[in-house]
Amino acid sequence: MKMNANEVVESYVTDVALRLPRKQRNDVAFELRALINEGLQDKSDETGRAIDAAMATEFLNAFGHPETVAARYRPALNIVDPADGQKFWRATSTGLAIIWGLGLLELFQTAPEVGFLNALAKWWMGTVIGSLWWPGVLVAGFGISAWAGRRWPQKTEWKPKANDRIRGGRLGIVMGLIGVMFGLYILAKPTWVLDVVWGGHAAPVAYQALTYTDSFLQLQGPILFVLMLLYIPFFIAVLVKGRHTPMLRRIETASSLLTCAVMLWAIMDGPIFMTATSDGVTKSLLLLIVIFSLSVMAIMRFRTVKPTPDQQVQIGR
Amino acid sequence: MVNTDTFGKLELELRRGVVVLATLSQLRAPRYGYELRQALAEKGMPIEEGTLYPLLRRLETQGLLQSEWKLEAGSQRRYYSLNADGRALLEKLTDSWQGMNAAMNALLKEDKT
Repeated sequence: MKMNANEVVESYVTDVALRLPRKQRNDVAFELRALINEGLQDKSDETGRAIDAAMATEFLNAFGHPETVAARYRPALNIVDPADGQKFWRATSTGLAIIWGLGLLELFQTAPEVGFLNALAKWWMGTVIGSLWWPGVLVAGFGISAWAGRRWPQKTEWKPKANDRIRGGRLGIVMGLIGVMFGLYILAKPTWVLDVVWGGHAAPVAYQALTYTDSFLQLQGPILFVLMLLYIPFFIAVLVKGRHTPMLRRIETASSLLTCAVMLWAIMDGPIFMTATSDGVTKSLLLLIVIFSLSVMAIMRFRTVKPTPDQQVQIGR
Repeated sequence: MVNTDTFGKLELELRRGVVVLATLSQLRAPRYGYELRQALAEKGMPIEEGTLYPLLRRLETQGLLQSEWKLEAGSQRRYYSLNADGRALLEKLTDSWQGMNAAMNALLKEDKT
């Protein structure tokens, strides 16, 4: 349907007004229409052309998209603070990559049974479409954080933090120490868990399931025990120093890498426990610990800043 | 050589910074949107309609302008003018602008010598 200039203007004004709050909608529409008509008349006088739909469309396109113009009538609203833009993008892409990656692993496991195309369709619908909850959660989280920052600006003020501070504080170290002691006890006597839970009355098969194989007892077991034992003096040293000195940090990295290597060796070398189920569960847990520890180390390394000029410093004025 | 796109973006940012001050400066006496736009353009500060008209409403919402509908030359027009808060703000912004302008002039002159 061919429109005349008036209809084009009406359509534009309606498109802008509909995006405004109801209480100011009609008033703004009335003013906007009058201003547009006056502008159009001026243009017609300048060019000596009669006002037509084409001239009105051209004029309104220069005026701006109705959505953009309507947005200018209201104060700018940023759900995610512009300062958090990069952080938001990184969190979104990393999270989606992990979710999609785990979904792909499942795809390759199920593909031989259900067929590649079916597995791919399931991955697309279940994992990719389903993963949109993640950006949604992030928008909500970042939005709340931005709102809180505006509401209580003093709470988000920058405060200096020592680079060698103990993350989690001294309490975190004490908890770590307790964790290591429990870990050592479980490593030395895994059936202790059964004694605690069932008061020593668990079925014999359960005790058998938590019995180490000879190879683990002779090889990886003692090494893991010693490595874990070394964490006790390490944690005590951190507690006494009150900070993570560079030397303590290096010792921690070396012992973590060594522990991860021994755990990986234990996972790949053969059974740890006598029964397949307990062995599988233990190996899965060990693998999770290795992945978590290596990820933490990688993140810490990525977040290290060493102020260095990116080219040779010239001597001169 | 300066990229045209970069120049355009930076010039736009400079203009954005002065649009409010330019608008307030022309509202000591009541004016309606189209008249205000022409007054600004005649004095070398053209502002797009799509930017200026919403800005008037925003300044009014912020409590800096007052407005009223009037019938003039057979048309109903909404006239805007500074209220007491708007005048006070204009005075402060003018001082600030003049300070910055003097500093910028000195900086840019220094750069040329």
